[in-house]
Amino acid sequence: MSATASPSTANRLAPAMADAIAQEMRTDPRVYVWGEDVTIGVMGPTRGLAEEFGESRVRDCPISEVGFVGAAVGAAIGGLRPVVDIMFSSFTYVAFDQLVNQAGRIRYMTGGQLSVPLVVIGSAGAAGSNAAQHSEVPTALFLNGGGLRVAFPSTPHQAFWLTRAAIRSDDPVVVLHHPALAAARGNVRPEPLALGDAEVGPEGDDVSILAVGLMARRARAAADSLAAEGIAAEVVDVCSLSPMPWEAILASVRKTGRAVVVDEARLTCSVASEIAAGLAERAFDRLRAPVRRLAVPDVPIPFAPSLEASVIPSEEEIAAAAREVVRA
Amino acid sequence: MSGTALTERGAEWLRLMLRIRLFEETLADLFAKGRLVGVVHLSIGQEAVAVGVCAALRPGDQITTTHRGHHHMLARGLEPEPMFAEILGKATGYCRGKGGSMHVACFERGVTGANGIVGGGIPMALGLAVAARELGTGGVAVAFFGDGAANQGTFHEALNLAALWRAPAIFVCENNGYGEFTPSDRVTAGPGIALRAGAYGIPGVAVDGNDVAAVHTAAAEAVARARAGEGPTLLECRTARRRGHHEGEERYAGTYREAPHVEDPIDRLEASLGDQSLRARLEAEERALIERSLAAAEAAPEPPLAAALEDAFA
Repeated sequence: MSATASPSTANRLAPAMADAIAQEMRTDPRVYVWGEDVTIGVMGPTRGLAEEFGESRVRDCPISEVGFVGAAVGAAIGGLRPVVDIMFSSFTYVAFDQLVNQAGRIRYMTGGQLSVPLVVIGSAGAAGSNAAQHSEVPTALFLNGGGLRVAFPSTPHQAFWLTRAAIRSDDPVVVLHHPALAAARGNVRPEPLALGDAEVGPEGDDVSILAVGLMARRARAAADSLAAEGIAAEVVDVCSLSPMPWEAILASVRKTGRAVVVDEARLTCSVASEIAAGLAERAFDRLRAPVRRLAVPDVPIPFAPSLEASVIPSEEEIAAAAREVVRA
Repeated sequence: MSGTALTERGAEWLRLMLRIRLFEETLADLFAKGRLVGVVHLSIGQEAVAVGVCAALRPGDQITTTHRGHHHMLARGLEPEPMFAEILGKATGYCRGKGGSMHVACFERGVTGANGIVGGGIPMALGLAVAARELGTGGVAVAFFGDGAANQGTFHEALNLAALWRAPAIFVCENNGYGEFTPSDRVTAGPGIALRAGAYGIPGVAVDGNDVAAVHTAAAEAVARARAGEGPTLLECRTARRRGHHEGEERYAGTYREAPHVEDPIDRLEASLGDQSLRARLEAEERALIERSLAAAEAAPEPPLAAALEDAFA
C-alpha cells in the first residue's frame, strides 16, 4: 500500500491501532501478531484481527514473555515482521533481555548485518487502580536501553500512523498506548506521521507545554483553560520519543521562551528530564524562565484512587505550572 | 552409510575438528602472549558436537550459539580469517569488529549469531524456525546452548512454544559438565537434560557428545523430523570442557576443575578411521590455513572510529 492510501475510518485510539495492523497485514504477508490473548484482543489494539486473518497469523501465546518476545526477535531476523502485543508494557520487564539486550543490540553487534523489524505494543500509564505493577510508563528504560524506537500516541491519528510506521520500520519499535485513551475520539487525517514526528497544537506564543501520552491530552485541556485567561499556551505532543522530535520541541520553546514538560513516568531520568536537559543545552539563550518539569514523584503508582490521582500530573497542575512560568 | 561414505565424511569431519582445535589453540596462545583483547571462551574438546550437528544442516538453515561458540561457527562453514579478525576487533571481521568473540554472526552463511547471555539464543532459534516455515524456505534452525542454559527460563519457554507450534527447530544442549565455574550436577536437578523434553511431549535424545558419528546420526534424525513438519527435538550431547570457563581465569578462579576423564573426540575419530597418515596430513593443511588466516587478520586495519556511531539504528 502506498503512503497516499486512504487513511483509516477508525475514530478511536485502540481501533485505529488495530486498523493500522490490519492494513499492513493485508498488504504484507510477513506481518504476524503474537501475544497474550490477542485473538480476543483484550487490550484493544489487536481486536478483530484473528477473525480476518486467522489463528495462523494472529496467535495467542503462553504467558512466557521472554519466550515469545525472543521468538519474535528470531522471527524478525528470519524475515517476518512480528507485532507482539505484550498487554501491559511493564510485562516487558520479564522480557527485558530479549527486548533490550538482544533486539536493541543485534544490528549494532553484527556490524549492521542483521535487522530486527519487531513491534512491541503495550499499554502504559495509570487507568484507575491497577496499582504499581500495571500502571508503569517505562519510556526512560526503553530510551536509555538504546537501539529501540519508541512511540506513545495520544490520538487516533497518531496511533494509526505511528503504528503503521512502526510495522514498516526496520528497527525494533515499542508502541505504547494509554489505557485511559483507548476510547479517545478523533479522526485519522490523510497526512501521515513518521517515527520522530511530534504534533503541535494548539499553537501559542506565551508558553510551550511539552507532553507525552495522556499528559498531552491533559496539556491540551489545560491550554484551553489558559486561553480563557488570556495565556496562549502551545502544546507539543511528544508522540515520538525515539527519535526524539527535537526540531519541533526546540522550535516551539525558542518561540515562546518558556517550557513546562509533563510526563507520567517517575521524574528521575524521565523523558521530561531529558527534554529539560536538552532545552538547557540547546535553547538556553532563548529561555525567559526556568524550565518546569511535572512528573510522577519517585514512588510506585499507588492503588487507592485518591492516592493514584495525587501522584500523576493533572490538568489543573499543568495549567498552574504554565501560569507560574509565564509570570516568572 | 557405507564404509567408503563413512570414511569420506569422517575425513571431512576430522579436518573440521582439527581446524577448530587449531583455531582455539591459537587463541589460547594469543591470549597467553597478551595479543588478544577482551575475553575468549574456548571449545576445545567439544568439537564433535559442532561438527556432528552442522554436518546435518544445509545452506539456508540457521544456528544460534553461545559465548562458547567458535566451534559451531567454524563447523557451519565460517572462515577462520574473518573470525580471527572479528575476535581481534578488526574492520575485516564478520561484524566489522563490533561484536567480538561472543557476538560473531554471518547470517548469509547460516550463523545468526553467538550470544553473550546464557540462554539468549534459544528463543531466537525458535523464531528463526517459525520464520523459515511461514516463509516456506524449507529451512530449520538449531539452538546450541550449554547445560547452564538448560536452567534458564528461555529454555523451558522456547521448548513449550516450539512443541505447541511444531516448529522446525533442534535444541542442542552441549553438556560440558560446567556452567561457568560450577559443576552442572551441583546446580541441575533431575536425571538428565534430555529427559526434560518429555515434559513438553517432544523427543529428547542423549548422545555421547564426543562421538561425532553418534552426534551426527541423532542430529540428522532430528533435522529430518523438523523438515518433515514433525516438530522439534531436544538433543543432549554429553561432552567435556577441556579448558576453563575463559582464558586467563587462573588469576582468580583457582583449581576448581578436574581434568576430564573422557577420551579426546579427535583422537577417537582418528582411531575409528584407521588411517595412520590422515591426521598428520590434514593437520598440516589446517595449520597452514590457520597461520595464513591469523597473519591476514592481524595485518588488517582497525575499524574507522566513525564506526562506533554507526549501525545503532536502520
